[in-house]
Amino acid sequence: MYRYDAIDKEFLSDRSNEFRHQVSRRLAGELSEDQFKPLRLMNGLYLQLHAYMLRVCIPYGTLNVAQVRRLAWIARTYDKGYGHFTTRQNIQFHWIKLRDAPDILDALAEVDLHAIQTSGNCIRNTTSDPRAGATAEEIDDPRVWSEAIRQWSTLHPEFSYLPRKFKIAVTASAKDRTAARVHDIGLALRRGRDGTLGFEVMVGGGMGRTPFIGQTIKEFLPATRLLSYLEAVLRVYNRAGRRDNIYKARIKILVSSLGAEEFGRQVQEEWAQIDAARADLPDTELARIRAAFIQPGLEVLPAVSDSYEAARAANRALGRFVRNNVSAHKTPGYAIVDVSLKAHDATPGDANFDQLEAIADLAERFSLGDIRVTHEQNLVLPHVKQSDLPALFEGLAAVGLATPNINLVSDIIACPGLDYCALANARAIPVAQSIAQRFVDADRAELVGELKIKISGCINACGHHHVGHIGILGVDKKGEEYYQLTLGGSGAEDASIGKILGPGLNADQVAPAVDRLVEVYLAERQGEERFLDTYRRIGMTPFKEAVYVDAH
Amino acid sequence: MSAEFLKALTANRLSEGDVVFWASGQWVEQFADAELFTEEAPAEAAVTLAKSQNRVVVDAYLIDVTGSDQGLAPVSYRERLRALGPTNELGHGKQALGGAAIAALQAASGAARSTGRLDLIRRK
Repeated sequence: MYRYDAIDKEFLSDRSNEFRHQVSRRLAGELSEDQFKPLRLMNGLYLQLHAYMLRVCIPYGTLNVAQVRRLAWIARTYDKGYGHFTTRQNIQFHWIKLRDAPDILDALAEVDLHAIQTSGNCIRNTTSDPRAGATAEEIDDPRVWSEAIRQWSTLHPEFSYLPRKFKIAVTASAKDRTAARVHDIGLALRRGRDGTLGFEVMVGGGMGRTPFIGQTIKEFLPATRLLSYLEAVLRVYNRAGRRDNIYKARIKILVSSLGAEEFGRQVQEEWAQIDAARADLPDTELARIRAAFIQPGLEVLPAVSDSYEAARAANRALGRFVRNNVSAHKTPGYAIVDVSLKAHDATPGDANFDQLEAIADLAERFSLGDIRVTHEQNLVLPHVKQSDLPALFEGLAAVGLATPNINLVSDIIACPGLDYCALANARAIPVAQSIAQRFVDADRAELVGELKIKISGCINACGHHHVGHIGILGVDKKGEEYYQLTLGGSGAEDASIGKILGPGLNADQVAPAVDRLVEVYLAERQGEERFLDTYRRIGMTPFKEAVYVDAH
Repeated sequence: MSAEFLKALTANRLSEGDVVFWASGQWVEQFADAELFTEEAPAEAAVTLAKSQNRVVVDAYLIDVTGSDQGLAPVSYRERLRALGPTNELGHGKQALGGAAIAALQAASGAARSTGRLDLIRRK
């Protein structure tokens, strides 16, 4: 993985010292809250319902063992013993005290972590594929490009005060695990006919109160021209994006109002004026970054491990875990392991310090020290020998992290909702738990197959409800928590925005409604259809009738 | 007016972020200890005073309070959550204290928008 050099380390240390000084001036009354708030937000520190919340940046969802141990230590020392992984591949701590925040930033900086680009109208942490460098599906390692974007975008002077926040995703496989089409810019690596590397550039995707699927403005951007082209997109947005209305300030609104073709034309015009030699990444720098992602330590192994195959056949629980949480690695004899943070009674995305310590230990023993965070609030151990899978499974099970439900009905995305968030209108976590409890029968969950449920506690859509196969939006209806269900969304390569099922439901009605939707699907599905496929074939009516049958 | 007017003053403590309530000249941790205002003038005077305490608290605002058989509780569900803690971790937040006053808050039903917080958001 990429390692910070001396300049990076000095920069983080300076930044932490600067924030310590700002906090002491605030506590001494030299800064007002209005003066201080933008400063703390630039360091990822929000004030939520019960305490401050610190959002720590995890660049493109990649962590090493020392970093996970440090996050565990912070959870134990400064929080109530846990952290919450987010849909932006970051982690946030919900019980932070302002007076502790400078010490926490120092502790993070010691392991090359920080909270920059986790708030504010800047270019945020780049989303990437949690299987990068491990999957045979990828055209190129998306971390290389994500790291280039990180270096380019961090505290970029021209793009630190954009009309609104800005999120970029880089995906490199046909199967999109980054939700690229609902990012401000989605970059999909492609091979040109001549074998050269390039990007399909999609702009103007997003969720929130006005969801859009990103539109392609460039079919094939030569990869070496990435940074100058991004600069052109950001420059057009920075100049023409609305600043008069926070709800209309994202690039999606600009792209929608101009039309993708006109927006693309303006970008092309801007791009033509940019000096490529200044703006684009030199080949030497690209090679330096690329070298940092060559994975050392992978052994030459037989494609099949006999001991693993025997253990899998003998142990039903291991077999189920492998069916749902283990995928093919590009290297023979290795596997990619998804670690679910969605046990049926758990808070989606939460990991306590015992679990974080265990993940660090297991990654050190079994995954070449590499840990990834997914935007679906799970973790990935990307480089596990097949022969180590039984021992890894036991290690995960010992700390409650062997739930075999990846992509199944109980693998639910949920934002913190009204239990923590100052913006939320309704709770999301208890709704996720009630659905997970209803599908606790693992055989039934496997029978149902892939079903992505995503829950947001307000229209800002941190829980990605717009792109849930079943989306659930918490609303405040005359002061009561209500939930609006949508069907047919997808954040993957077949991206779509869900459509509203019908009138809102109260909290107790949501899990039974999901059950009825699943029953309709099971009765109607043909062949290998997923829930989403069946919905797309038969439409809304049968689902709607099943949920609202009592209303007639 | 005074028969319907029942409010408490809440804020978050600057250095910790904890939810606090105003009680006769000081900030207290528990809603049960909060001073209740039955007249607008003293309530607004307390808000003004809270806003002058820039080094102590942030985001001070009034919340509506209502009575029931169990006792007094904030009208708004959001404010009851602030006074209790998150529902997914019952050992976290003020609810960990337990006792009759916490039980009364947990038993309170009905929900309404937190008008004070809405005003706060509008002001920003």
